[in-house]
This record gives sequence, structure tokens and C-alpha cells, in this order.
Amino acid sequence: MRFADAWVSDAFWLAATVAAYVAARALYRRRPVWWLSPLLVAPTLLLGLALGARVGYGDYFHATHWLMLALGPATVAFALPIYEHRTVIRRNWPVLIIGVAAGSAIAMTSAWGLSSLFGLSESLRLSLLPRSMSMPFALIVAGDIGGVPDLTAVFVVVTAVVGVAMGEVLLKWLPLKSALARGSLFGMGAHGAGVAKATEIGGEEGSIAGLVMILSGVANVLAAPLVVFLLR
Amino acid sequence: MNRLHLFSVLRTAVQRSRAAQVALLAGLWLAGNFATRAIGLPFPGAIVGLGLMLLLLGSGFVRPASVRRGARFLIGEMLLFFVPAVLAVMDHAEWLGPLGLKLFATVLLGTLLVMLGTAFAVDLSYRWWVRHAVR
Repeated sequence: MRFADAWVSDAFWLAATVAAYVAARALYRRRPVWWLSPLLVAPTLLLGLALGARVGYGDYFHATHWLMLALGPATVAFALPIYEHRTVIRRNWPVLIIGVAAGSAIAMTSAWGLSSLFGLSESLRLSLLPRSMSMPFALIVAGDIGGVPDLTAVFVVVTAVVGVAMGEVLLKWLPLKSALARGSLFGMGAHGAGVAKATEIGGEEGSIAGLVMILSGVANVLAAPLVVFLLR
Repeated sequence: MNRLHLFSVLRTAVQRSRAAQVALLAGLWLAGNFATRAIGLPFPGAIVGLGLMLLLLGSGFVRPASVRRGARFLIGEMLLFFVPAVLAVMDHAEWLGPLGLKLFATVLLGTLLVMLGTAFAVDLSYRWWVRHAVR
């Protein structure tokens, strides 16, 4: 299928993206299993469509990139959960700081260590570093430290899907006494999808997971210059 | 109609409209970007916007109800906003081979370490905290 008019083609891909998202979300509502996560299904549908129509990533991205502008206001929106859970923060701040610091340090060093072990290229290693952060923060950090944000986006999604599946198994085996530990496991390990999973387990786990995800994202964006310095 | 009344009418309108709330959050994002560029702040505009929003909520100038629906929408539908970046996979057919396995192994093992490390760090420090703070 070929469109003579670039504008029509842009509108088509934009509509297809929204449609794939809505369809993936509806499917997950009917069958909420981790491998039918909209994180996997929506990109897969679009991938099939784009490959079938022989459209390159450049053209697809050109048509839809402005959807990503909404990630800016979405980041601002994270102020609300922080504010609404201010008593949780006040009560548990030392533990939250330790969790965020330990989690972020392990996320970065494990990504760097493992990718070096496997002999991956520098641009892949840098793009893997922010994979445990929530998407808007990960994209900012990837750009700051010299990674490729588009590649980071892929790794962030894989981390979320893998993390939710793994977190469920870990929770059965680990002797975790506190909702604080169960929540931060998901918030740090599987960001947005992990927060959704933690919310299914319990309200307290869900708010802790959300807080850990947001606080670690903000902390990592602020610490990005330090990471750049350490990598030199 | 005095100014106070006008303000409360405006507030009620914002509390009812999700679009107005999204516009408010977008406005703060733009303000954050502007501040970053104008003053040369070392943080990205979105983070400055988040800080501004937190200040507005903390000072009571903006009530949570005035942004709740907009914030839930932006956070809840976030996948739609970043799905264009994820389609970058289509340019990486080479990931179908051993390279893809290495990338997957890095993410898998790394995430295992992050989850174990974070959960244990938090659980241990929480127990320590409980034992020492509440006797």
C-alpha cells in the first residue's frame, strides 16, 4: 500500500498507533497475563503493520514522534503521587533513600558489567544503563550520558515485561516481611508495569512501588552528570 | 462578580475538565523548559516542572483535585506516548541473532540483581529502622 500524500500517510500511522494501543489495552483487560502485556502487544501489532507496508522506522517515527511530547507533562504529573504519599515518605524516608540508592547503583553497575562481559558495543552499553527507570526519565538519562534513547526505549520495555514475570516468582521465594520491600522490588525492578503489579498485590505495595519508581527516576536524572563523570 | 468569585469559578471548571488539567501540567512543563533555558538550570525542563508542581501543591495554591484527572490520564496512558520510540526495534534485524540473546541476558540478569538487591536492602534497613525507632 502506498500513499501519494505524505500528510495522509502521517495521519494513517498516527491513527494506527492509537488503534494498536487501544486494542492492546482492551485485550489485556480481557486476559491479564504478563505475555499479553500492552507493552508487548501494541509494538508487535505496529511492527507487523509497518513491515507489511514496507515503511521504515524513520518514516514511522516522523509521523508519530509528537506523541512523545506528552512524556514531558506526564513527568510533571508525577508530582501528584509524590504529594499524595507525602506521609509515607515522611514516615519511611531513610528506608526509601537506601532502596533508591541501592537499586539505582545495582541497575547501572549490573547493566555496565554484564554488557561489558558480553562484549557489547559502547553505544549499546550506554543505552542499557538507564533501562530500570520509568520511560520519561530513562529517555532523558540516555540522551544525557550519550546513549541512544530509541534503543533505551526498547530495553526499558523488555525490562518491564521480564521484571513483572520475574517479580511474581521472586515474591513467592523471598522471605520479605515488609510491604516496603515488596513494593520497592517492583518499583525499582520493573518501573511502570511493576507498579501496576504491586498495586494488585496490595495498596501499600502499590504506593511504595510508585514512589520508588518516581524518586529513583528523579534521582537518576539529577545524578546523570555524575554518571557521565564516572564513565570518563 | 468579584475576583475571588471568578477564581473559584475557574477552579471548579479546572476540577471538572481533564483537558484543562492536562493543559495546566503541559503549561508547567513549558515553564520548566523556559526556566531551564533562561536561567541555565542544570536540570531538564520536565524535572523543573515537576518541582514547580510540587511547590504549587505543597503551598496549597493548587489543590490535588485540580490536577488529579489530568495526571492519572497522562501517567495511565503513558505507553501510547512512548510506543513510537519502541518501534526502533524494526531497524535492528541483527538482534534476531546471538546479539539479541546477549542483550536479553543482560536485561534478565540485571533485573534479577536489581530486584534481589533492592528488596534485601529495603527489608534489612526497614527491620533495623523498626528495631531502633520504635522500642
